[in-house]
Amino acid sequence: MKKNTHREFTVVLWAVIAGFLLLTGCTGESEEGSAHTAADKKAVLAFPWSPASLDPHGSDSWEMMRSGTAETLVKLNEELTPVPWLAKEWKQENENTWIFQLEEGVTFHNGNAMDAASVKKSLLRSLKQGQTAKDLLQIESIEVLSENELKIVTAKPNAALIAHLADPSTIIADVASLEGEAGYPAFTGAFQIKQFTRDESLVAERYKDYWGTPALLSEITIKFIPEGTTRLMALQSGDVDAATDIPIDNIAVLEKDERFRVLTAPSLRTHMMLFNLNSPLVNNQNLRKAIDLSIPRAEIVDSIMAGYGTEAGGPFPEVLPFGKVEKKNQAESVGKWMEEEGWQLNADGIWEKQGRLFEVTMLTFPQRPELTVMAEIIQNELLEKGIKAEIRQVENIDEALANDEWDLSMYSMLTAHTGDPQYFLNIFYQSDSASNVSHYASSSLDRLIDQLNQTVDSAKRNQLALQIQEVINTDLPQSFIVYPETVFAARKAVKGFTPHPIEYYYIHSQIDVNE
Amino acid sequence: MIRFCLERFAQLVMVIFFVSTLTFLLLRAAPGDPAYLLLAAHDVPPSEEALVALREELGLTENVWKQYGQWITDAFTGQWGTSYVSKKPVAEELAGRIPATFELAAAGLIVMVMVTFALGISTSIYSKGWLNRIGKIMALFGSSIPSFWLGFLLIYFFSVRYGWLPSMGRGTLQHLVLPAVTLGLGLGTVYARVLRTSMLGILNQQFVTAAKARGFSGRRILVFQVFKHALLPIVTMLGTSFAFMLCGSIIVESIFSWPGLGRYIVEAIHMRDYPVIQGYVILTSFLFVFVHFAVDVIYALFDPRLRVR
Repeated sequence: MKKNTHREFTVVLWAVIAGFLLLTGCTGESEEGSAHTAADKKAVLAFPWSPASLDPHGSDSWEMMRSGTAETLVKLNEELTPVPWLAKEWKQENENTWIFQLEEGVTFHNGNAMDAASVKKSLLRSLKQGQTAKDLLQIESIEVLSENELKIVTAKPNAALIAHLADPSTIIADVASLEGEAGYPAFTGAFQIKQFTRDESLVAERYKDYWGTPALLSEITIKFIPEGTTRLMALQSGDVDAATDIPIDNIAVLEKDERFRVLTAPSLRTHMMLFNLNSPLVNNQNLRKAIDLSIPRAEIVDSIMAGYGTEAGGPFPEVLPFGKVEKKNQAESVGKWMEEEGWQLNADGIWEKQGRLFEVTMLTFPQRPELTVMAEIIQNELLEKGIKAEIRQVENIDEALANDEWDLSMYSMLTAHTGDPQYFLNIFYQSDSASNVSHYASSSLDRLIDQLNQTVDSAKRNQLALQIQEVINTDLPQSFIVYPETVFAARKAVKGFTPHPIEYYYIHSQIDVNE
Repeated sequence: MIRFCLERFAQLVMVIFFVSTLTFLLLRAAPGDPAYLLLAAHDVPPSEEALVALREELGLTENVWKQYGQWITDAFTGQWGTSYVSKKPVAEELAGRIPATFELAAAGLIVMVMVTFALGISTSIYSKGWLNRIGKIMALFGSSIPSFWLGFLLIYFFSVRYGWLPSMGRGTLQHLVLPAVTLGLGLGTVYARVLRTSMLGILNQQFVTAAKARGFSGRRILVFQVFKHALLPIVTMLGTSFAFMLCGSIIVESIFSWPGLGRYIVEAIHMRDYPVIQGYVILTSFLFVFVHFAVDVIYALFDPRLRVR
């Protein structure tokens, strides 16, 4: 076979491949990124999760709020205090009855007017669609008093009603637009949905008849990028203008790059360690104290959280008015508590009592990788203090918690997502609640929570919440470790994309792009 | 041929029956409560009332055998239920993702075929030179580099560093390049070694010598004799790889935010969206059987001996 024929054949083959790659690599200009003409400014943002549907009253209500297209009757300001939004004012007639005055001149994105009747329909739909709104609002009846006046009666006194009306499950929508297949849902926000492709993007354009300050941007595109590193690289490559939930490991890269600003906001999340009070080892309060004393909170904040977090002293982050729990001087030593319970250090340096070693099982789960690293640090620290901990990684933490084969467990929760302590305390601490995963039962705490449920005055509520946390910190059904911060980054040209403890308020009408 | 098709159809029915039964049983045995996962999606603990109401709504409180009976009936009538998460028909949801996955699989296959052919043929012709050494190194890297690492490396160089190609998403032809290369490059370099070995073996066969003696041109012998014969083992491998790609490449789709079946099923598994997982299993079983059927047909086209049998 002739050698030059072979060569000719190989050259042709490689030329075809090179041509194909050039063709795909060089055709057309990318449509990504932002266009920045004065009249037609656009921004592209990267968020981790895509809504599965656009129904505001299902499990995607948070994603709808995040898109900047939807609004609720009440909003939480940066101090997490409820302030008027679609409801311009409200007053309480008696302990169960509230009268709301709605903003006038508000229209839904389909042009229909928002009035008391449409708000009633929307709230009734959210109550019908899911239990979350029912649990939060505890509404018995809604009555239209006039075009812009609404009366809400609760089944029992619900002092947190106003704060809970800021929850995304109560988004106000034109109910007619949610039924049937035609068109996108009509909300009242500064942006209206233009196009949605699940798992790809949501495009929202400026709503020209918006009742508030009109949006500065003509269009916002949200790209759904679940992978943290891809989100970071999309920002670095200019495919997006801002990205949320930047993995902590990657922050240093962005901080060195002068094109970007790294922004942080205190979150309403608390990383904690649960004690299983059904476990014979840790149902003892002094032994729990010994374990709690061994948690190296400062080291965890510095190393794992890279400084993007604060040491936790209670279930609620310090950004909340009822989150500033006074930390006790923990001068006691682990040894004091252990010896008080009759444990002795053996020759291996492990606590032992009547031939039984102090060995505990600690659960962790892969969905929040930082918790597993924390568990390993705590495990080392416990070992140094004479307590052996075996880490068990489980796929589904909530199912594992339901079985009683654990002593300690890493956990993470949004503890005051409406800026109010009531919901979390009722669900997580009431003796008979199914979500009381630590099996902690305290009749005095139950009474305090009931008292909180009935108290309307916000100063008194904050005081009660602090009192409740003191009881929790004394009984110690959980050890609170760290309040993580939310980290996001934006190109310096992006203005107004500012931190807020509530993650669904990132997009608002005053976001701008100035090159 | 008719008998062959009927056999394959019977196989398809059996495969779907066994796979769907197994999936149903494994899902019910696996830990995870779809109702809890849905309600606690934002890490806010749900109330017991909410959990009970949602379990009821999703039909999770019914007898397992009743659920299984319903599922088997649904599986064969094409009514694959409604997604717990989106509340939309599963068949519609899956159908919506097939174009993206097919597009990526086809592009990945093209890259794979091009790399296989170019590297395989050239290294078999220059079987002892530097090109062969490069081919060997590429195959070593291709088989050992994890696709997530290759994907991030490609994004870093071609998107972040030089800005030539988009880093993620689907849309233009440019969006397709990096995921397709990530998907096809590694396997392509490995298959190239198989093709090379196969071609070198055939180049020494007597019928090649006979063809030369008969005065056929080198190009004709290469294309119509050697390459055609060497292709047979590759077709099976390409077919199997394509079937895998059609089921959605979970890692590549996740890295590049590609809205295909792979990314969808990861989310469905995470949320324990049983109807979606079960529907996906039926679809992929069907795709697997279909692609293998297509490979058998292509095989017969390439190799007349099989047709005679």
